[in-house]
Amino acid sequence: MSRPLEDILFGAPSPRARAATRAASVAAAVVLLAVAAGIVARFHSAGQLDARLWSFFALPTTWAFLGKGLLGTLASAAMAAAIALGLGLVLMLGRLARPRLIRWPSVAAIEFLRGTPTLLLIYVCFLVLPSVGIKLSTYWMLTLPVALSTAAVVAEVYRAGVLAVPRGQTDAARSLGMTEMQVFFTIVFPQALRYIVPALVAQLVIVVKDTTFGYVVTYGELMQNAKVLIANYQSLVPVYLVVAAIYCLVNYGLSRASKRLGRPGW
Amino acid sequence: MGEVHKLLADYGPAFGQALLLTWKLTALSFVPGFALGVVVAVLRLLPLPPLRGALTAYVEVFRNIPTVGLLIFIVFALPDLNVVLDYDTAVVLTLALVCSAFTADYLRSGINTVDSGQIEAALSLGMRPITVITAIVLPQALRTVVQPVTSLLIALMLSTSLASQVPFPGRELTALVSKIANESAAGIAAFAVAAALYVTTGLVIGWLGGLLERRLRILR
Repeated sequence: MSRPLEDILFGAPSPRARAATRAASVAAAVVLLAVAAGIVARFHSAGQLDARLWSFFALPTTWAFLGKGLLGTLASAAMAAAIALGLGLVLMLGRLARPRLIRWPSVAAIEFLRGTPTLLLIYVCFLVLPSVGIKLSTYWMLTLPVALSTAAVVAEVYRAGVLAVPRGQTDAARSLGMTEMQVFFTIVFPQALRYIVPALVAQLVIVVKDTTFGYVVTYGELMQNAKVLIANYQSLVPVYLVVAAIYCLVNYGLSRASKRLGRPGW
Repeated sequence: MGEVHKLLADYGPAFGQALLLTWKLTALSFVPGFALGVVVAVLRLLPLPPLRGALTAYVEVFRNIPTVGLLIFIVFALPDLNVVLDYDTAVVLTLALVCSAFTADYLRSGINTVDSGQIEAALSLGMRPITVITAIVLPQALRTVVQPVTSLLIALMLSTSLASQVPFPGRELTALVSKIANESAAGIAAFAVAAALYVTTGLVIGWLGGLLERRLRILR
C-alpha cells in the first residue's frame, strides 16, 4: 500500500468535486482563523497580552532558569530511564525463568509497579518513607518512583521482543551446544532489542512527562522552575504556555526519533 | 495484617468512596474522550489541508504535553483568561483531551490496516467517500484498536490520580492515601490497599479488553 488511504478515498476527483473541496478548504481556514482570532481577542480582553507579562522573556536570566529546569527534568528522566532499562531486563528475565520461586515474584512485582499510578509511588517516597526513617533527596523522591514504574513497563516491552524472536533460532543455537546464557545474550536478546527500540523510545516520552511531578516534591525540574518564575513575575498564562511548548517540542522530538528508528531497514 | 485490618475499620467507607470516584472519573473522561478521538480521526481524513494541519497539531500537542501540566494550565491559567471551571470539570476535561489525542492517533494506524483494495472496490460500486469511511474503514479500524485502547483506558484510570493535585470535592484513591499518610502512621497500609485496588481494577479492564479483542479480531 503506497498511497495513503485518504488519497484513495478522495483521489482523482471530478472538476466539480475539486472546486467543492477548495471551497470547503477555504471555509475551514476561515473558521480556524476565526477561532484563533477569538483566542487572541480573549487574551487581549483579559489583559494577558500586556508587555509587562511577557517582557521578562527578553531577559537571558529567564531562559537560563528555564534551561536549568529543563536540565533538571532531563537529569531525572535520564537516570530513571537508565535504571528502568536495567531493572526491566532483570524483571523480564525473572518473568521468563522456569523456577516458580523466581517467576511468580517477578510477575507480582511487574503487575504491582505497572498497575499503580506513578504519583502514588511518589507520595510513598515523599510522605510515607520519611515516617519510617528513610529520607531521600528530592531528586530520588522523583526519580526512583518514575524509574520503578517505567521498569515494569519496559520489562513487558522486552518480553514482547524476546517472544517475537522465532523459536527455531533458539533451538538451532541450543543444538550447537550453546549454554542458555549464550543463547539468550548472543542470539535472542540482540534481535529482540532491534524489534523494540521504537517502543523503548516511546517509553522515554512517558518518563519525561512523569518527571513533571517533580513540583510535588519541589525538585528543580521544568515545571517547578516555571512555578518559581510565575511567583516572581506574576505572569501565569505566558509562563505556562512557554513551558507547555518546551515539553511538547522535547516529547515530539523523541516521538519522531522513535518513528525514524522503527522504520524497516534500520 | 493487623494494621490493614485497623485501617479498613477506620477508613473502609472512605476507600469505597475513593474507588468509586476513581472509576467515575475514568468513565466520565474516557467516554467523551474516545468519542472525540473518533471524530478527530475521521475529520483528519477529509481532503481539507487547513483542517488536517490544525487537527494534526491538536493530536501532537495533547499527546506530548504532560497531563498534569495540562491540568495545572486549565485550573490555574484559564481563570486569568476569564474561563473558570469547576475542579472536577477541569480534571475530566484534561483527561478527555489527552484520551482523544491518543484515540485519534491509534485509530489512524488502525485505519492504515484497512486494505486499499476494499476502498477502491467500494468507490467503484458508487459509494460516496463518507459512506466508505463510516461503513467500511471505521468499523474495521475500531476492531483493530481494541488492544491499544484497552491500555489507554488503564493508563487513564491511573491518571485520575492527578485529581489529587487540585482541591476536589471528595477524594479519589491517591488523594485519600496522601490524607491518611498526613494524619496517621498508617501510610504504608493505606498505600498497599490503594495499590491493590488500582492493580485489580487495571487487571479487570485488561481482562475485559482481552475478551473483547478475541471476539472482534479480524483474521487476515
